[in-house]
Amino acid sequence: MSSCGNPAAEEHALMPRRLKFGKSKDCVRCRLKPGNIVIRHAVYCKECFTPIVDMKFRKALEPSVNARAGTSKRPKLKASGNLCLGFSGGLGSSILLDIVHNTYFSSRPPLDDSGNPRGGINHPRNASVWPSCIVCYVETCGAFAGMQDMTEDIRSVVERYPSFDFVPLRIEDAFDGSWWTNVSGSNSTPQVCLELSKEGLITDGLHVASNVIGLTPVEAMRTYLSSLPTQTAISSALQNLTRVLILHTAHSRGSSHLLFGSSLTSLSISLLSSISQGGGYAIREELQEEWAPVAASGPKPSNVLRVIRPLRDVTAKECAVYAWWNSISVIGRDKQRRAILGIAALTKKLTYSSDFVVGLEKDYPSTVSTIARTCEKLEPKDAPSGQCRLCKRPMQSAIQEWKGRISIRSYSDNKLSADLAHIPSPCRGNLDTSTPSQVPPLLSLTDFLCYSCHTTLTSRSSRGVKQSAPVISSAAPLPIWVANRDLHEDGLMGDGARRKISEEEMLDNVAEFLIDN
Amino acid sequence: MAGTMTIKLVFSGGLELLFGNERNQSVLIPPFVPSDNSTHSSPDTPSTGETKAADLEYLIYHLRDHVLKERPELFMENGTIRPGILVLINNTDWELEGEGSYQLCNNDEIVFISTLHGG
Repeated sequence: MSSCGNPAAEEHALMPRRLKFGKSKDCVRCRLKPGNIVIRHAVYCKECFTPIVDMKFRKALEPSVNARAGTSKRPKLKASGNLCLGFSGGLGSSILLDIVHNTYFSSRPPLDDSGNPRGGINHPRNASVWPSCIVCYVETCGAFAGMQDMTEDIRSVVERYPSFDFVPLRIEDAFDGSWWTNVSGSNSTPQVCLELSKEGLITDGLHVASNVIGLTPVEAMRTYLSSLPTQTAISSALQNLTRVLILHTAHSRGSSHLLFGSSLTSLSISLLSSISQGGGYAIREELQEEWAPVAASGPKPSNVLRVIRPLRDVTAKECAVYAWWNSISVIGRDKQRRAILGIAALTKKLTYSSDFVVGLEKDYPSTVSTIARTCEKLEPKDAPSGQCRLCKRPMQSAIQEWKGRISIRSYSDNKLSADLAHIPSPCRGNLDTSTPSQVPPLLSLTDFLCYSCHTTLTSRSSRGVKQSAPVISSAAPLPIWVANRDLHEDGLMGDGARRKISEEEMLDNVAEFLIDN
Repeated sequence: MAGTMTIKLVFSGGLELLFGNERNQSVLIPPFVPSDNSTHSSPDTPSTGETKAADLEYLIYHLRDHVLKERPELFMENGTIRPGILVLINNTDWELEGEGSYQLCNNDEIVFISTLHGG
């Protein structure tokens, strides 16, 4: 019995607690055994539970395996490249490894009575869907002091699956030219930086400041993170760095599919967090995407990487029970380790969204899937204007124009001058009331970033400027892939501005190529 | 300690970090405990005032007050297990066994699994 929570009700008025399952405690699938687990009001026994999770996994993954859908209702599965698994050591990705191995890479297929492979030749375990599989892990201990390097622990987990090749990465590889040379084939890509304001924060102008600044990858990464304005921005930046590192690594190794172990619960959390930080335009990519790097020059890459989250219909509770009953050991993700170590500030973004969604899962489990399904239906109105240089996701057009329409950029507007009268004189000194220059602004990196990345770099906390460690230089290094495409061509470097040339000058430039009539 | 029950505990999913990194533990619980879940009396001394049969709700309070090493807010919230922590009683979801009102029996195995370490 429990109180209904209505303060106007009688003090001892109790109502029967609503059951979290149907009338019977027996398994709804086999109807023979008593149930062991309740999943969204349905009761399952231990023996029936595991096949249900396996079925959800395959249902989410297999429609995307073949490069073309074809006409057959049950086509033979054959991928165009190899498989890459993103592994964090967490619950979902640990289960992902196990299910992928058991379903597609276990060595000895069971035989039926006649000696043929059981399930037929089209059953996944009998056909080689992917020729090989790599497991990518990104170690983030370099970003935080006091964090333990878990690479070898992760390696020992992956080694339990002999069919998988382990590819360890480090978060600072995002600032390492040698890593970039390996994955992109580019011989020399400059390390570029952003100007910092006098407060040590990235300026709104986002001007590219300089080339190589002589920092090691770890130093460059820490400088970049310490220049970010809020703790939320640091968390977002780490997620983006991790994702782009794995995307490029998978693509460079000929993978056709990249799988992440996000459960329905963690996916719903990340969707809400992403939207709250301005990532709504790429919400479909958060669920599933087809990705290819934008080439600096030459032909477009032919192999497209399909990024899929096959556990997207499996809740965190199901994942936990699956791991327990199948004896899958879970090392744990760095976020939880940080939480235990008391680095609470870096889990704030996780806390608000996850508390809400996890609470929903406990009392209203069907609502969690509603979040993911609703986001699945969202679609941007217009086509993307390109790929964001920082997060490598689709970028909507005219972001700066929209921001200009909805925000006050200068106090020089006559309509606002009257508003300044109420501000005490000593405080007016901080307000820029000068008339903006009529000279066209320098082309900045802003025009090549999505709204979410721009917000990550420039948003200010309402609690004031973040007190960060002294910045090593006056510029914030950017991930190495930002300078992939020619910055001079885009007008971000050199004299920093494109200028319109006259028709006579244009004619002089191309005169030698013109064919005389 | 006549009448006390041995309850086997397993912590998983990172929750063991809060309990001194010990995954497998056991505790002794008296058959009858204070109705208000007060854990000040020991299993040896009989508790005064209203009592109830030892249930899972009391066990959770006992773990918080006597076994937990740090960060109680990551284990308990609003008088019950924090959302995101799965509880299995003898390999069965506690939702099928009445959650906190499940009456403990000798040699019961209670498993606490944190689901908060994502994908």
